[in-house]
Amino acid sequence: MSTRIAGAVIAGMLGVAGAFLAWQASLLGLGDLASPGPGFFPFLLGAVLPPLACVIGFDCWRSGSSLAVQLGHRNVAIATAALLTVPLLFEPLGAPITLGLFGAASLILIGGISPLVAIPASGCASIACWYFFQVLLGVQLPAGPL
Amino acid sequence: MTGFDHLIGGFAVALSWKGLLYCFLGCLWGTVVGVLPGLGPLAGMTLLLPLTFGLDPTFGIIMLTGIFYGAMYGGSTTSILLRIPGEAASVVTCIDGYEMARKGRAGPALMISALGSFVGGTVSILGLMFITPPLAKLMIAIGPSVQVVLILLALLVITAVSAGSRAKTAAMIAIGLALGTVGLDRLTGAPRFTFGSAELTGGLSFTALAIGLFGISEILINLENVTQLSVIRPRLKELIPRWPDLTESAPAVGRASIIGFIFGIVPGVSHVVATFVSYAVEKRLSKHPEQFGHGAIAGVAGPETANNAVTGTAMIPLLALGIPSIPATAILISALTIHGVQPGPLMLTHHPEVFWGLVASMYIGNVILLILNLPLVGMFVNLLRIPYVWLVPLILIVSIIGVYSVNFSTADIWIMAISGTIGYLLRKFGYEMAPLLLALVLSDRLEENFRLALTMSGGSYATFLDRASILLVIAALGLFLSGSVLAWAFTGRGSYASEARRARADVVP
Repeated sequence: MSTRIAGAVIAGMLGVAGAFLAWQASLLGLGDLASPGPGFFPFLLGAVLPPLACVIGFDCWRSGSSLAVQLGHRNVAIATAALLTVPLLFEPLGAPITLGLFGAASLILIGGISPLVAIPASGCASIACWYFFQVLLGVQLPAGPL
Repeated sequence: MTGFDHLIGGFAVALSWKGLLYCFLGCLWGTVVGVLPGLGPLAGMTLLLPLTFGLDPTFGIIMLTGIFYGAMYGGSTTSILLRIPGEAASVVTCIDGYEMARKGRAGPALMISALGSFVGGTVSILGLMFITPPLAKLMIAIGPSVQVVLILLALLVITAVSAGSRAKTAAMIAIGLALGTVGLDRLTGAPRFTFGSAELTGGLSFTALAIGLFGISEILINLENVTQLSVIRPRLKELIPRWPDLTESAPAVGRASIIGFIFGIVPGVSHVVATFVSYAVEKRLSKHPEQFGHGAIAGVAGPETANNAVTGTAMIPLLALGIPSIPATAILISALTIHGVQPGPLMLTHHPEVFWGLVASMYIGNVILLILNLPLVGMFVNLLRIPYVWLVPLILIVSIIGVYSVNFSTADIWIMAISGTIGYLLRKFGYEMAPLLLALVLSDRLEENFRLALTMSGGSYATFLDRASILLVIAALGLFLSGSVLAWAFTGRGSYASEARRARADVVP
């Protein structure tokens, strides 16, 4: 996708988000000008976004190039996927196991490190973090099956 | 008690073993994040923010502030030795700093940079100490309508001085303000945008958003390019500058201290703007302007002094008005609020120990940084040898635990991961995260004061046009215009925005 089109798409998404915000805010009770309700302020913000998105979109279209925008780099995709997996596993598996797996996966897939090194290293790092936060700082982390 | 008594009290706090320890830890971590490319003061502060929750507010703020100015010191190291700015305010230092390093003069460049940072930092602390208390006294008298005007002015200036597209900055501000409305409405108690989720009734976690938008998005962007860096390593004996280096740098340090001091109060990208204005001033006033770009020591001394002179004055709007002027102070405002200390004019009355402890710790921190950054520069340079991909899992693990520890909720990890991904996408398309974060912090106060002012005035919008508001607008416009004229007179190129873009483009291909 070219930067021109991608920029316009992002601007379009901003506009849609603004319209959605304004619609949701209108359901909260706008009050009146003299006595604004809880929806008044977010409604104003939502109403501001679509015109701004038009300006941004127009600007992108006018000044953007046809060069392809670099999205979806392998390392970024892996890190994002790993990050989005963490909240799913954090409580069922517990912090030490989840973060150990996360660290190992990151080191192997992003760092290109051998699993024989990555797994013990991330295990040690995970235990060190757990000890520091749980034992030294008293932060209650989910233990999981351990 | 007089101000002097308070300052003595502040030193008693800062010189206690805990004060020294947390100041040292903040400065050390700040230097590390400043040295490591891709981890700036914001990411450094947000990552350690959760660790301060268990601390006394004074020590927590001392540590976070130490990270802020420590990163300014550390940022110069990579600029000089690698031509890679450790953080945005070190971009200009790359130009002459790296040229000096290539000519075998990395040592004097680092030394002058550290000395200039020390002087600039000290001047700005003096400003913070003398300006904040009277300004806070003045601000106690203002009502909610003037607060609204003040916040709107700050947001307008942020848009005006933005280094990117103004429309994009305005959109980021609107989104930041909108995100701040999630949760229970403070005046009516009505839930807003919670979509039935109990976890959202308290609002979106600032820590999760800040770490996601700044820390995670920064890491994701850096993961696109993880080439190992080759570093120029100076020896300790090479650090000592020659006499001409000192005589050339001294006036630049003096001028840059004043420039940084003035620009520190302007909201937005003041720390970045101050560096290129200082560089332009030195080039304009130099007897040998042709040396600039080829290793002029004044081109290192000026910007490095200016970016540190900003750190103290940037705290003035935060501590006297409760308004963050740059993203780093937005993190501080959040930390203070979490600790139950309301930043603003009443802070000096209700929590003088926090303010004066912070001021005293900044003096001490400057000395610590001078010691850390000169003899130990080789150690910090060695950090650059650690492959970035090895550091990433560790930073992410600390971020995840940190975010979770605020509310013990996996919802916050979701918020961090999602906001990090969105932040990465937005940054790829030239949207800045700093205005969003500043607006997020100010959202509650803006709305609350707006509605309160209307209630008090019986619904009359004329309340926003009273004498105090008009005076405030005139004063702010005057300050902003004089800053613009100063920048224009010396750079002669146009707006802050174009200058900031040009400075970055000159250095970062």
